[in-house]
Amino acid sequence: MVRVTKRRTQRQRDIRTAYLLLSPAVLLLLTVLAYPLGWEIWTSFTSLSPLQEGGTAFVGSENYRRQFGDPQFWRATAVTVVYAVVTSVAKLALGLGFALLLARPFRGRALVFLAIFLPWAYPSGVSVIGWYWTLNPPTTTAYAPFMGHLKYGVDSAFGGGAWAFVSVTLFNIWRGSSFIGVLLLAGINAIPPELFEYALLESKSRWQRFRLVTVPLLKPFLALAVFLSLTSAFADLANVWMLTAGRIVFPVIGTHAYWLAIKAGQYGPASALSLMLVPFLLVVLLVLFRLFESPSPDAA
Amino acid sequence: MNPRPWWAKLGHRSLVLLATVYCLFPIYFMLVQSLKTPQEDVFGNPFIVVNPTLANFEELFERKSEVRGFVGAALRRSYPFLDWLANTFVVFAGSVVATLGVSVAAAYALGRLRPPGFRWWRRAIFATYVIPQTILFIPLFQVVNALGLDDNLLALLLIYPSMALPFCVWMLSAYFQHLPREIEEAALIEGASRATAFFRIILPMSRPVLVAAGIFALGTVASDFMIASVFLLTQGNQTITAGIGTFDVALDELAAVAGVNLMAIPVVSISAFFARGYVRGLTAAMVEGA
Repeated sequence: MVRVTKRRTQRQRDIRTAYLLLSPAVLLLLTVLAYPLGWEIWTSFTSLSPLQEGGTAFVGSENYRRQFGDPQFWRATAVTVVYAVVTSVAKLALGLGFALLLARPFRGRALVFLAIFLPWAYPSGVSVIGWYWTLNPPTTTAYAPFMGHLKYGVDSAFGGGAWAFVSVTLFNIWRGSSFIGVLLLAGINAIPPELFEYALLESKSRWQRFRLVTVPLLKPFLALAVFLSLTSAFADLANVWMLTAGRIVFPVIGTHAYWLAIKAGQYGPASALSLMLVPFLLVVLLVLFRLFESPSPDAA
Repeated sequence: MNPRPWWAKLGHRSLVLLATVYCLFPIYFMLVQSLKTPQEDVFGNPFIVVNPTLANFEELFERKSEVRGFVGAALRRSYPFLDWLANTFVVFAGSVVATLGVSVAAAYALGRLRPPGFRWWRRAIFATYVIPQTILFIPLFQVVNALGLDDNLLALLLIYPSMALPFCVWMLSAYFQHLPREIEEAALIEGASRATAFFRIILPMSRPVLVAAGIFALGTVASDFMIASVFLLTQGNQTITAGIGTFDVALDELAAVAGVNLMAIPVVSISAFFARGYVRGLTAAMVEGA
């Protein structure tokens, strides 16, 4: 009896400690995210604008409804979906390729691994600047004519701004495939070698082994990769903005919202627009949680 | 396993080569650019540098850059690059340390002490990734102003940890959760406190996962461009990222690329040094447990 009470107080103490230890993280997220998010949600129902005179009116769901009638919105949505799908598929395919390439030992593997790790490790806050000037060089540089030809070739085939969009996509894939490759390599390393040996005896082809052994065991890693890749694509604002120098012909939802807020001063519609992504991403996340949440040994 | 045929080996090798070139080319290209003289930049072969020079790097450190070329004195600009370097170091190191400290505390609570609903706590923290950053900096500006941190490095030290935190908490708490109970129990029975058991036993065990979390945090912090350029306005307070963003790159292209490299080299070296630990930590966090 005494033991039981003692245990219970110990448990209560643990719970108190747990909340205490959680508090810095929660406090940090509340300061940096909760107020801004609340502000954004509130603003999305109002006509708040730094340009307007007079008070701010509560407009209800007007800002949301207006989006649906706006061709710009549909265009941005279409571009965002294409961008997210194309980059995610490419990143997953390349990343999986990298991981499989590195899965087995060969001479120089450590160096190749490092090479594949670098695009992600290279600080993209500055590499995006480097990319911009590589793909859109100042006219004086030696490779400017070549890049110019490429740019005008792509632009004339697909419309103005296409080259800029291609460069954004390439940059996103370049950096993301590196991250996903390393993440999946970590996943492959976790697969016990005996399992592969067993599969070697049991299965007929390489493809079969890949499908029946590698993919199922990589599932948590793949799910995590998909989610992070989707959020990075949907939330991609800085890179699109930088690589197109703000002259955005192919807006994604992020840049369209930014443009609405900063250039047009329409805080309300801009907030509504960026919030419209949240339910979609939440649903995706809830599905993926089941895949990448590790089952606990003693389910609580 | 029977030896693979020559064509399979050849195929593997060429794929490896292709992957390496694909990953390294942009980095190589930026490095080569930064070593060029203006003459070579205009007339030389874009892919190689014949007479490498460090002049572009030196120019960054000169308070008053030399007037170059035809554009004249109107473009005489100087950059407090040493200040930027120091600021970047403070912000990056501080953010990584803060991220790790806060994440380890939260992860230990969620993975080890398991308060009621710990799973949902963890999910909620991870779910903050769905909040689009797009125009969040407008209200964030109000927060930063209210705290009196505008144009202050502390603003970045406040915001950056929140960006890597969700993934770090996720990773660390999954690892802590996997560790068998017995690991601490022995120490607890001996009369050690939970804190002692944590610092003496669990923390040393989790080194690879801590490395992974740290490298992830560094990568996240170094990838930010928006926050740094929105919140740091005075030149003397800027980080390298924010600073280079203000270059008139059409005219300072070579100096800008040099600046890019100067920031990238330390970050890349640190990450490369820990690269293997990063993979090991990711593996440990997701599956292994002990």
